[in-house]
Amino acid sequence: MKRVLVTIVAFALFTACGDNSTKEVKETETGQVVNVYTHRHYEPDQNIFKMFEEQTGIKVKVINASADELIQKMKMEGEQSPADVLITVDAGRLSRAKEQGLLQSIQSEVLENAIPSHLQDVDNQWFGLTKRARIIAYAKDRVKPEELTSYEDLVSERWKGKILVRSSSNIYNQSLMASIIANDGEEGAKKWAEGIVANMARSPKGSDRDQVKAVVAGEGDIAIVNSYYIGKMLNSPDAEEVATAQKIGIFFPNQEDRGTHINVSGAGVAKYAPNKENAIRFIEFLISEEAQTVFTNANFEYPILESVEPVEDIKVWGDFKEDNLELDKLGENNKKAVLIFDETGWK
Amino acid sequence: MKQVGSNKETFSLKSRLKRLKRDSNRWSIFTLIIVLFLALPIIFIGVELFSGPGETWNHIVQHLLPEYIWNSLYLVVFCSVLVLLFGVSSAWLVSRFEFPFRKQLEWLLILPLAIPSYIVGYAYAGMFDYGGSLDLFFRAMNFDFIRIDIMNRAGLAFVLSISLFPYVYVSARAFFLNQANNLLEASKMLGVGERKTFFKLMLPLARPAIVAGLVLVLMEVLNDYGAASYYGVNTFTTGIFRSWFSLEEPETAVYLSALLIIIIFALILFEKWQVRKVKFTSSKTNNTHIQRKETKKSIQWVIFSVVFLPVLLGFVLPVGQLIYWAFITASTVFDLEFILISLQSFGIAIVSALITVFFALLLIYFSKWSALRFIKNIARIGVLGYAIPGAVIAIGIMIPTIALDKWLIDVLAQFGIDSGLIINGTLIALFYAYAVRFLAVAYNPIDSTALKVDNSIPDSSKVLGVGNLKTFFKIEFPLIKTGVFSAVILVFIDVMKELPLTLILKPYHIDTLAVKAFEYASDEMVMEASIPSLFIIFTAMIPVIFLNKLLIKK
Repeated sequence: MKRVLVTIVAFALFTACGDNSTKEVKETETGQVVNVYTHRHYEPDQNIFKMFEEQTGIKVKVINASADELIQKMKMEGEQSPADVLITVDAGRLSRAKEQGLLQSIQSEVLENAIPSHLQDVDNQWFGLTKRARIIAYAKDRVKPEELTSYEDLVSERWKGKILVRSSSNIYNQSLMASIIANDGEEGAKKWAEGIVANMARSPKGSDRDQVKAVVAGEGDIAIVNSYYIGKMLNSPDAEEVATAQKIGIFFPNQEDRGTHINVSGAGVAKYAPNKENAIRFIEFLISEEAQTVFTNANFEYPILESVEPVEDIKVWGDFKEDNLELDKLGENNKKAVLIFDETGWK
Repeated sequence: MKQVGSNKETFSLKSRLKRLKRDSNRWSIFTLIIVLFLALPIIFIGVELFSGPGETWNHIVQHLLPEYIWNSLYLVVFCSVLVLLFGVSSAWLVSRFEFPFRKQLEWLLILPLAIPSYIVGYAYAGMFDYGGSLDLFFRAMNFDFIRIDIMNRAGLAFVLSISLFPYVYVSARAFFLNQANNLLEASKMLGVGERKTFFKLMLPLARPAIVAGLVLVLMEVLNDYGAASYYGVNTFTTGIFRSWFSLEEPETAVYLSALLIIIIFALILFEKWQVRKVKFTSSKTNNTHIQRKETKKSIQWVIFSVVFLPVLLGFVLPVGQLIYWAFITASTVFDLEFILISLQSFGIAIVSALITVFFALLLIYFSKWSALRFIKNIARIGVLGYAIPGAVIAIGIMIPTIALDKWLIDVLAQFGIDSGLIINGTLIALFYAYAVRFLAVAYNPIDSTALKVDNSIPDSSKVLGVGNLKTFFKIEFPLIKTGVFSAVILVFIDVMKELPLTLILKPYHIDTLAVKAFEYASDEMVMEASIPSLFIIFTAMIPVIFLNKLLIKK
């Protein structure tokens, strides 16, 4: 028995430490690396990284965690931070990283020209990579699309007990609220939140997909969700989920005025990036046509590059007017948004 | 334990100091050093308290705190009831009675622990929601008006209890198996009935063991983030994340953590207090195993059902759901990399389990050999890490280790060596963090078996001039082996499941299965998360079965 135990321990030590040390060696041998701190936990991203490695010979080393944790980590690591690139799934976190002095301005004509100006930082500290829209999913059998107009209109009597939306801890809701603050002012935003809370079908819980399911189950009539989750549901391995997604209609709010709220997943070069040149090349690659095609085809996001068509599943929803709010505002208003959520009881 | 204080002595400062000088020995110093080492991250977080909470503190107290307190209390109460019900009943029944599949159930009952509780939460939500397995079942039966909503506070209490009750089961069973036989015989001889024996004799005597397990469960319950936030239940821990990340105020998060630690400390004191009330050491340490009772076949099947129920709810159903998901997602998710990641996770978990158990042993025995009584209480500070959310611990670890790294970089630079971060971003930081976080998991089972060792044996060994260390290895270690092994399994499983701390501190290109599962789950790809989750479960099962055999053989 003792021998078995010893073997296990030796084996464990070998797999735990052994693997580590061989990796360290490889690192120094090749020299060319780019260290990526990313919040995008998407499988297709792996393929994009591989494509980049094959084309450039630069090894992509990834740390996955939530943007908040990555920002905290970079802050503590300071000048010693190995991070070259920070990727988040929302603009608010990027502008927060900028505020805390974790990013640096870079010169890149490629990025400058390809990305619409409101979707990149004024000081060139971060750049949008993909877009997602915060849309309204409605039950086709109970709601006529003509009844919907804007986010602001959702507080009307028609939607009493009918709205499904997830928790206010979710960054996409925080960003939506931040955009409402930017457009309607703090007082207006507070009134809006109160109205939504009063119209909620149930206390917020679950994911965006769960909100869609609840609409189809009849718990409410409409849900505020991210566009790319619907694309994913339509392509789910679970036939039941596909059937569910097919039962809902998509509505892009605020087409008559400022446009539908959009957010970006984006990237910036770290302040103390040890491989700055590689980092810029890497971000430039992420907005190349081939990478953008993967983003939309495999992850159902709207490409930031105009020359790349969105994947068919989301293209059928048609073109829509986007809110051209400077995305820096989302970061600025984030905290105010959370405070308003708490004050109005949006859990 | 030597009696230090007595009424005769005056409590002047001078006499106290004199006593301190007389009774302190090197073990006291060693204990203090280890406690300091393990408590360092907590101390750094504690220091933050002096800078005061952030500006939103009043906002939180006004709008959120009542809900946090109320929800956390609700979970503590309901989880305690459910966990005791599942854990104690199953432990007693498998120890006392013979029934079909008893041997298999004995280790199956530990397995719910192998599934991260947020995964259990997702699995149950997946069963109950629209288009889920249960929903489809109801539809097929034409009962489609039935929809049970599990994503609420009561559902969360259920999910957490069903995945955490094995902590109580493990410690209660260890007691029943090894300690209960003599008492049972005596009780039988006095003609006391089965039911009365259990409620009047066994239950009160097993209380320290049961409560030790329960405290672990409650710490874990208070610490849960994944399941609570998915089910929309706001607790202290979700509040910590909210104030830290959404409100951008780490200092406020630290305040909430401090409140949480106070609650946990109260739980620990409660445990201490109630163990003191029922202090006993068994007269014979080398008890024979309990004699199992043969009952009528029909009753045996009733017992089987009662014991099988928690296995069904905590393991079979969620794993069934995961297997179904794995089946439909296998083609897109599975690749050979999973085997490698499984090996890495396994290796990391075993090594950190051994390190953590080693520290727990040092703490327990050094403080025992120290003649100062208060040292024993100080040692308990070391277990507080379990009460603190993993993300907060990670920060507590990074503050001192980065300072040390920077110092090392400066020193090495003088010799012309460009070293970069030495401790951070390597496994050293990760192992350290696991030891801090999971010390309680190792400490409790060892401590509760160590308490039952009759002190007269090691004492007489020492009277004969044998040193502390030698006595420990020759006499005490064999007696507490079961406790040590349970500690290794429990820490192993916890490390396999651990998430936030691993995410922040793990080195590049080291992946664990929990990280993999989370990557999918966090992007609402719960189905795709099933394959790494199943790997966690199966990897964790190996040592559980192996060590369970070891326990029984003994």
